[in-house]
Amino acid sequence: MMGISTASTAVPTEVERPETHQVPAPELPWLVIVWNDPINLMSYVTYVFQKLFGYSREKAHKLMLDVHYKGRAVVSSGPKERAELDTARLHQHGLWATMEHSG
Amino acid sequence: MSWRHRIRAVRGGGYEVRLAVEERALLSALPLQLVSLLDDVGDEPTGGLPEVLRRLLPPAYATDPDAERAFVSMTRQDLVEHHRESLETMSLTAKATRLDDEQLVAWLAALNDLRLALGSMLGATEDEVELPMDDAHQAEWIAYLYLGGLQSELIDILEATLPDPIPGADDLVPDDHWGEPPGGLRWDGTPQPRDR
Repeated sequence: MMGISTASTAVPTEVERPETHQVPAPELPWLVIVWNDPINLMSYVTYVFQKLFGYSREKAHKLMLDVHYKGRAVVSSGPKERAELDTARLHQHGLWATMEHSG
Repeated sequence: MSWRHRIRAVRGGGYEVRLAVEERALLSALPLQLVSLLDDVGDEPTGGLPEVLRRLLPPAYATDPDAERAFVSMTRQDLVEHHRESLETMSLTAKATRLDDEQLVAWLAALNDLRLALGSMLGATEDEVELPMDDAHQAEWIAYLYLGGLQSELIDILEATLPDPIPGADDLVPDDHWGEPPGGLRWDGTPQPRDR
């Protein structure tokens, strides 16, 4: 019967600081990465990139080819919350997505 | 348009479905098998799940177990529910001759979920599949290949329904974040496919 189953540095104490205006460093973005997998169809991956991120067909196709030939591609970036949302949406579409802090 | 295709958009909205009785029986029964496996899933890490389910519930933080635990507790239930709804919709509408947009999108998701589960179970690779004639899982291989063909048809139909690209979206991520991986291999160390 066919079916799906589970069978298988020292800090100086005093320093003279020039007075400067503190410019906050821009927060490093998080990267959302899609990894190659042998099962998802290439046309499906291209479709999902267009659907989720509003990319042109050409851009989505290029990112899909990077996933296929190079093994991974950055498909979106931004603050942590945004990256988590994008990762969750990719998971809902069956893609193997992870996120990491850039830098 | 001829009936070379099994599913086609009809004027006035919706989609007409022409499938054999045997195909409909498969599309009705198979999703429920996967739903029953999803019933047993809690908040365990992906690595603790049966192989067949891992692609459906992948990790977000590959190297940070604490962050991953938090992510799973925040998203796992929604993800399981998303898979379940698509699979149940396809099962319930497997005998229908007409589908609406929402149902067709659910079919696409369910077909992909089934292929992820079957492909994991069968150890499918990117290589051209030659049907193993004496394999114990021959029926599953046939189902896996059949579902892929049907899914391809749905992708062609649904890609035509996508809204226009968002202006400027293409510039939000660089074309090539890391450049070429070294040694002619992929970033994960596996060989690049030769079909380039």
